[in-house]
Amino acid sequence: MTEVTDRAAEIRSRRVPGVEGRAGKFPGPSLIPALNAIQARLGWLPREELQELSRDARRPLYEIEGLISFYPHFRTEPPTKVALHVCHDLACFLRDGDARLAELRARYGEDADVELVEVSCLGRCDIAPAVAVNERPAPVGDTEALVAGARAGEVGAAPANERIEPWPNDPYPAGSGVPERYATLRALLAGDLDPDTIVATLKDSELRGMGGAGFPTGQKWGLVRDTQPGDVKYAICNADESEPGTFKDRQILATQPHLVLEGLLLGMAVVGAEQGWVFIRHEYGPEEHVLRAELDALREAGVTGPDACGSGRRLDVEVFVSPGGYILGEETALLECMEGHRGEPRNKPPFPGNYGLHGRPTLMNSVETFADVPIIVQRGAQWWADQGVGDSVGWKFFAVSGHVERPDVYCVPMGTTVRELIDLAGGVSGGREVGAVQPGGASSNFIGPDKLDMPLDFGTAVENGTMLGSGAVVVLAEGTDLLAASTNVLRFFRDESCGKCVPCRVGSTKAHTILRDVVESGSELDDDRRAHVLRLEEVMRKTSICGLGQVALGPVVSVLGLNKGGAAAREQPRPNGAADQPDR
Amino acid sequence: MTATEERTVTVATVSVTIDGNQVSVAEGTTIFDAAREVGVDIPVLCHNERYDPVGVCRMCVVDTGGRVFAAACVRPCEDGMEVKTATPELDRSRATLTELLMADQPPRAEDPKDITTRDNLLLSLADGFGVARETTELPCGSGRGTDSSNPVIDVNHDACILCDRCVRACDDIQGNDVIGRSGKGYATRIAFDLNDPMGASSCVTCGECVQACPTGALTNKPIRGIPIRPREELDAVDSVCPYCGVGCALTYYVDRERGAISFAEGRDQPGSQSRLCVKGRYGWDYAASPQRLTTPLIRIDAAYPKGPLSADVRGDGHNDRGRVNGGERSGGGRKPGDKRGGKRKPGGLVNYDEVMPHFREATWEEALDLVARRLREVHAVGGPGAIAGFGSAKCSNEEAYLFQKLIRTGFRTNNVDHCTRLCHASSVAALFEGVGSGAVSTTYGDVANADCVIITGSNPTANHPVASSFFKQARRRGTKVIYVDPRASTVAEHADIFVQLKPGTDVAFYNSVMHEIIRLGLVDSAFIANRTSNYDELARTVADYPPERAAQITGVDADTIREVARTWGEAGAAVVYWGMGISQHTTGTDNARCLIALCSITGNVGRPGTGLHPLRGQNNVQGASDAGLIPMFYPDYQGVDAEKTRLRFEEAWGTTLDPKRGLTVTEIIKSVLQPDGVRGMYMLGENPFLSDPNINKVRKALAALDFLVVQDIFLTETAEFADVVLPATSYLEKDGTYTNTDRRVQLGRKVMDPPGQARPDWEIVQDIARRIGLDWNYGSPREVFDEMVGLMSSYQNLSYDNLGLSGKLYPNADPEHTDGTIVMFDERFNTDDGLAHLVPAQWLPPKELPDAEYPLVLNTGRLLEHWHTGSMTRRSFALDAIAPVAEVYMHPKDAADRGLAHGEMARVRSRRGTIELLVRVSHREQLGNCFIAFHFREAAANLLTIDEIDPVGKIPEFKFCAVQVEPLGVRT
Repeated sequence: MTEVTDRAAEIRSRRVPGVEGRAGKFPGPSLIPALNAIQARLGWLPREELQELSRDARRPLYEIEGLISFYPHFRTEPPTKVALHVCHDLACFLRDGDARLAELRARYGEDADVELVEVSCLGRCDIAPAVAVNERPAPVGDTEALVAGARAGEVGAAPANERIEPWPNDPYPAGSGVPERYATLRALLAGDLDPDTIVATLKDSELRGMGGAGFPTGQKWGLVRDTQPGDVKYAICNADESEPGTFKDRQILATQPHLVLEGLLLGMAVVGAEQGWVFIRHEYGPEEHVLRAELDALREAGVTGPDACGSGRRLDVEVFVSPGGYILGEETALLECMEGHRGEPRNKPPFPGNYGLHGRPTLMNSVETFADVPIIVQRGAQWWADQGVGDSVGWKFFAVSGHVERPDVYCVPMGTTVRELIDLAGGVSGGREVGAVQPGGASSNFIGPDKLDMPLDFGTAVENGTMLGSGAVVVLAEGTDLLAASTNVLRFFRDESCGKCVPCRVGSTKAHTILRDVVESGSELDDDRRAHVLRLEEVMRKTSICGLGQVALGPVVSVLGLNKGGAAAREQPRPNGAADQPDR
Repeated sequence: MTATEERTVTVATVSVTIDGNQVSVAEGTTIFDAAREVGVDIPVLCHNERYDPVGVCRMCVVDTGGRVFAAACVRPCEDGMEVKTATPELDRSRATLTELLMADQPPRAEDPKDITTRDNLLLSLADGFGVARETTELPCGSGRGTDSSNPVIDVNHDACILCDRCVRACDDIQGNDVIGRSGKGYATRIAFDLNDPMGASSCVTCGECVQACPTGALTNKPIRGIPIRPREELDAVDSVCPYCGVGCALTYYVDRERGAISFAEGRDQPGSQSRLCVKGRYGWDYAASPQRLTTPLIRIDAAYPKGPLSADVRGDGHNDRGRVNGGERSGGGRKPGDKRGGKRKPGGLVNYDEVMPHFREATWEEALDLVARRLREVHAVGGPGAIAGFGSAKCSNEEAYLFQKLIRTGFRTNNVDHCTRLCHASSVAALFEGVGSGAVSTTYGDVANADCVIITGSNPTANHPVASSFFKQARRRGTKVIYVDPRASTVAEHADIFVQLKPGTDVAFYNSVMHEIIRLGLVDSAFIANRTSNYDELARTVADYPPERAAQITGVDADTIREVARTWGEAGAAVVYWGMGISQHTTGTDNARCLIALCSITGNVGRPGTGLHPLRGQNNVQGASDAGLIPMFYPDYQGVDAEKTRLRFEEAWGTTLDPKRGLTVTEIIKSVLQPDGVRGMYMLGENPFLSDPNINKVRKALAALDFLVVQDIFLTETAEFADVVLPATSYLEKDGTYTNTDRRVQLGRKVMDPPGQARPDWEIVQDIARRIGLDWNYGSPREVFDEMVGLMSSYQNLSYDNLGLSGKLYPNADPEHTDGTIVMFDERFNTDDGLAHLVPAQWLPPKELPDAEYPLVLNTGRLLEHWHTGSMTRRSFALDAIAPVAEVYMHPKDAADRGLAHGEMARVRSRRGTIELLVRVSHREQLGNCFIAFHFREAAANLLTIDEIDPVGKIPEFKFCAVQVEPLGVRT
């Protein structure tokens, strides 16, 4: 036993091991709402307003600078009439996005009314190539009409997608409302269900995190439930899916917000949190609207509020709209953002389950994970297991995009093969053959046509040198330049790197520069440059703080392997479900 | 004396294996620290033990058997963990990380650090891995730009590796909150404020970021053309900062070939912990000013009768105010009186051209003979009371001791005082009466152990910047900060409760706080019963100050008063730090009495994190007072009017002594203008012309003296009235001890030789002593110190040999082995009965209240960049460049009401004088108040101030007089 003295040491001893230094992070309430308010009032953030905010809030100017320069949502110049955002990431790239972008540049580049910005994935891969005009998403073909409307001050709001038939993970009949739904939550709050039973059911069901990491959900809930009983805890639904090709959560939010919220509320009740949030990406305006309407209905019906379902317990859920950036999907970056800091991932451990929002134990799951919880709790682990193919359990949502006839979200039994899923989406567009598939979002390794019979599941994906990741299946037709496609993916990671750690900040840029030069010049990747890419991949994978940097070069390297012999060149850096990898 | 009460916390341990070495460490220990314990060094870039780890450079990654490597600097050890710190894969990773960073660095030949101090940590890592920008095959980038807008710090964004060391240095260590990360991804860069040029930002140029930076991103610029070279090529002199009472330890790196300082750096010491502010780090070049006095000067006959010699002081000059921002600097490369391009900086320092012709150079023999003869004559004619001496709180303990000994034994008078009279005389008076000692009861660093702190009447971010950094840091660790001050200085931004009371209402405020504490039963009854006297009287007095009444007097709402009372009263340990906003009032002693009572009734004295700390201004005001440079005390505060004491000193010094108290600074000036008053003065390093209140009166007094000898390093405004001017050494040119605000006695070491014939003050004092017949034979300051210590029980056991590099706190029973006493009075107070004497005070208004003709309250004080009368700082390139002009700070409405805009010239009038200066519209001022710093002779604030004094402490009311501000109509 070591002895230390004095108050300073006492304070040190209260520190949670591994919590990194503040390094410019200011305690106190987040300034993001105040910045949002200024921007809502004036359309941008004039310097004088920022100085006044600094003075009134007694917060340093540099903190404000750190935020407004980090989050793309914030403007330091007056806006133009028309903000034309054009997606340039993989799904759009595969559908001639570069050519469409060039046309838009030619048309609007000199237009003083129009600010044309290339942006990262808008999550509209089903209508690729996609644009957003004054934040209204649309296929590129609608640009002209929308720009004309915006010039006149009118773009209107896009509706969220609708669906009458319930998805197979929905226990409630079509046409149900709040009174019929939320039955599991009511039962739990009435004491008819035991929280420990719920945790056990989830463990038995083998439900895993559907946001990309695949961490066992029951284990996570159990951990947070057991952490500091009685202390303040929080729960967050991570609805910040932003990876190219990934838009399944958007559809789930649009069509079954009741399941997402019931799952979140169950999580809150089980772990002992009174306050929960849905952290939603700002590009999902239509879905945010649906979610808010459902929340209003819940409050109205007394399902949430100070006396949730008449239980005497407080349960409140709020929507937190992301100020932008893929990195916020990384759970600790998300927490940093909610605390009002730059969205830079934390060093881990500690993990959010122990040390989350404001240092409190925080339960965090993605949209799809929460949405699966009510039916599993209602029908049991065995029922869930029976839904999968073979050894696989449950249902799985996949967003299929790229070179397919019907890009869309499909809910299929876990264990469905890649080929079956592509067929469901109408097959490869134009009747071509499959050249390669990225089966788990932008950070998964590409697989070749030889792997089309691979059952889509966490374990089988790993066995095949890739992963299930974010549930985005991007199909590349035969003849697609895979190096160009994977360099496009790398550019996304480079653009979305937060810049906190050296390997990701500098490594992604250097690797991209090397590969872009090769792709643009149409030359071969020579051995020297290949060696540089490989050693950069290694250093990024082994030393980056978070998953973004760890996987950024993986897809490129997997393609190098395909060129050599049709197999992925390297093992995916995420053994599924291992305790040390809850990264995105 | 020492309080050693310790709150112990027990910590569990874990066992890890590092490169085969098993080690047990406290839970939470990082792998990096554990590795160090077993002698394994892990390379780092972003990590440094001074800062909390952030794990961003990834250089320290180690293999713990996980899927990815762990950053050793931040990853805690886990029980049973097997760590490898050096494998081929790790080496490869570190080499590649280094190469990635090197690819964007400036070419080595242009690296700002490699061509100066040559201690670029990244370059040395790169050398170790054999990688270089010049040879890498990775794409190289650059072009993030440079920023040279700060006068002494260069920023090179290409050289920046975003290690966040500067961010943590600026925020976590100094609490200045200027530097952060701007942008995202590869475009991220460090930024000042809203990505402003460093020189235009709120940066206070403390240089902590430069000291923190491992690469060439933040580097010092050369000052006065002296190149910055590698430390090993320079002579390192470990010394102490010459400016404020915080007494930061530093090292001067001296270029012996050029005979000048190359740069300065903070040095570790238990108090200042390597921190410095702009004055300490960049303000040392005044000593190299060509305006230094290098020969003794004697006033020529034609210059009599005496009066001010320069136009600025005479008030009849043409001082070109329109060109205030003309960009010309005082000092730098200029010969005395040299008019650059015929245009002198308006105002500014004494104009040598105008003044020098009134003096002639003399030999030391002639000058010293003259001084001795004239002082003896004045003494012979007017008796002991005709002589007075002003010593200086900027001189060493030894010099202070010798000076008072000279006046007392050579002229048999106690008319010896120094600028403590102008800063904390009232605090000292109240402390003596209350607790029996004028020194602080605990250190500034002890704030770390406090649950609550009151900082009052003090602007520590400007006046005690390094101490303030500890206050700010404590708050970030949970100490509640209550800031009570009429001005919203930057400390207000770091306060949990900011009480912006009306000036001069402190007694009412604190009485009311005590009223509430008593009403709420938050007093420490046991402490009151066992450790204090006169509580009932105090309680009766404060009973008349319910919050509602105090609210009317102070302008602070009653709820805030209640909140302060509750916060203070409920704290387990609470401490108060105060400055001249408390002391410089006609009620200064009463103000301090209230603070003493506040601490005492809540039991907040004598334990860690509790106590009374008047933040001392000058670097040696504590030591000069300790050494007896005050009219009522011999060394160690032994009263001159106590016969037993006098007899002991008469024996020690071998002469008879004056049994009466002498006159104080303000009384001496007053006495000169009276019959049978002081006729001859010895002024050692003091410049009362700018520092004393109501300068017009001072001017009359100085001119009326029969004989004035001024001993200084520059021709000061006071020297314009001198008969003889003696050139002394600057702080940097002599050895001596200095006692800081914490009671830390430190050695200041000689850095370089004095210019011309300038001589150390102690030698000059000794030469005069001998010439008036005293038998003095001190061979060195060390001998003087030993004599002093023999007469001062507080300093007992201290010697030049045991002060060491970081000095020692007094009292100190064992300086060989301990740092000394942090907390005083743990068992008894120094009073005769050992009890704290509570002295109630009734609120009294200041002497000159605003009226229709003079409707504003003037507050005076200092700026961060300047020191007192500016004789040093205005000759420092950095400090003068950052703060070149005098300004009156005004509330936006007060300015607008008068039609005054920011940057316009204004006239400020009081009943005593008029000055003209620029307007600074400032949200830090209260409505109806304005503030002027007193450093600027061209707009001397003390022309306006009132010379009313506190009846006990005899301190002038610098913080309150009535003025009017009017437009002048000149825009700059």
